[in-house]
Amino acid sequence: MKYKISNLTELQISALREIVNIGVGNAVTSLSKMISKEVKIEVPGLKVELIEKVPEIAGGADIIVSGVIMHLTGDVEGYIMMMLSEETTETICNIITNEENTDILDPLNQSLIEEVGHILAGSYVSSLSDFLGLNIKISPPMQTFDMLGAIIDHILIEMSTKAQHALLFDTLFMIEGNRMNGLFLTLFDPDSMDIILERIDRMI
Amino acid sequence: MIIVGMADSAVARKPVKLTTLGLGSCVGISLYDKSTGVGGMVHIMLPSIEQARSKDNRAKFADTGIPALLDSMVEEGAYKHRTTAKIAGGASMFSFNSNTQLNIGERNVTATKQSLKELRIPIIAEDIGLNYGRTIILDTENGELTVKSALKGIKTY
Repeated sequence: MKYKISNLTELQISALREIVNIGVGNAVTSLSKMISKEVKIEVPGLKVELIEKVPEIAGGADIIVSGVIMHLTGDVEGYIMMMLSEETTETICNIITNEENTDILDPLNQSLIEEVGHILAGSYVSSLSDFLGLNIKISPPMQTFDMLGAIIDHILIEMSTKAQHALLFDTLFMIEGNRMNGLFLTLFDPDSMDIILERIDRMI
Repeated sequence: MIIVGMADSAVARKPVKLTTLGLGSCVGISLYDKSTGVGGMVHIMLPSIEQARSKDNRAKFADTGIPALLDSMVEEGAYKHRTTAKIAGGASMFSFNSNTQLNIGERNVTATKQSLKELRIPIIAEDIGLNYGRTIILDTENGELTVKSALKGIKTY
């Protein structure tokens, strides 16, 4: 590892934040078009945390969410996770299926949410790829409805064999300003962080 | 109620409750000595410290976290030979998986059982495997372990 993620410069941090901002911005624009509703995002947070603290930072290990996880491969390795609260999941399903009170546990609706996550992550990742000039592939999505900690712990376990800290990008988004909300989490492998930071250093 | 984080452990005495939240592939181990009302909980992430890059946090691994927890309980007055274990977690949340995370839940459970066997602590209840998350609560009043899930209800052991 060339760079220490606990030791980034201000310039590197703002460049990273900007890249994520553009990526998530593109993703929510796709979401907004899909459901014909306004979707707002917060300025992405960028945190360097002990891996075992990640569930707390993401909102709590026991909050129940609809989670979609995708594995990133290619020039960089990592994970993208989209977490939606129960209400948000239902809202998105209601809008897309044009029904009321959809059952979010129905397999059809689960695959619908899975596909929404895939589309969002797809536009996010293609914007990252373009910006950084890296080839990043995205795996098929995996969706489940469960406790946040349980959904992501195997990813944190995998990360923890390679590093102690994780660089965590989290972006909250809101649909039409309601309390319904969602969260995007991105985690990169330590070696992949090196590659990304090298690209950034060349640019700035 | 004491909340035990990921890769964390704690000891408590009657009537304080111990809990750990959202176990997926991780395993939650609760130890209890009924005669003294001393209980302990650890939330492990990995089977063994041996291949770990960083060995700072013993509570992260089954093979170091469980013996360390037992030691802390004995310091609090628990009797080792009266201590029993209840374990939960070790799920495989997704059916996919790349090589590195192959059955990490199962490996965590195996390492947990091995460690408890070496310490001669009997496992009197387990709620492990399958594909859903669990939150556990140990009541040091009576040693009961409550296992909560998002969709599969609540069980008490």
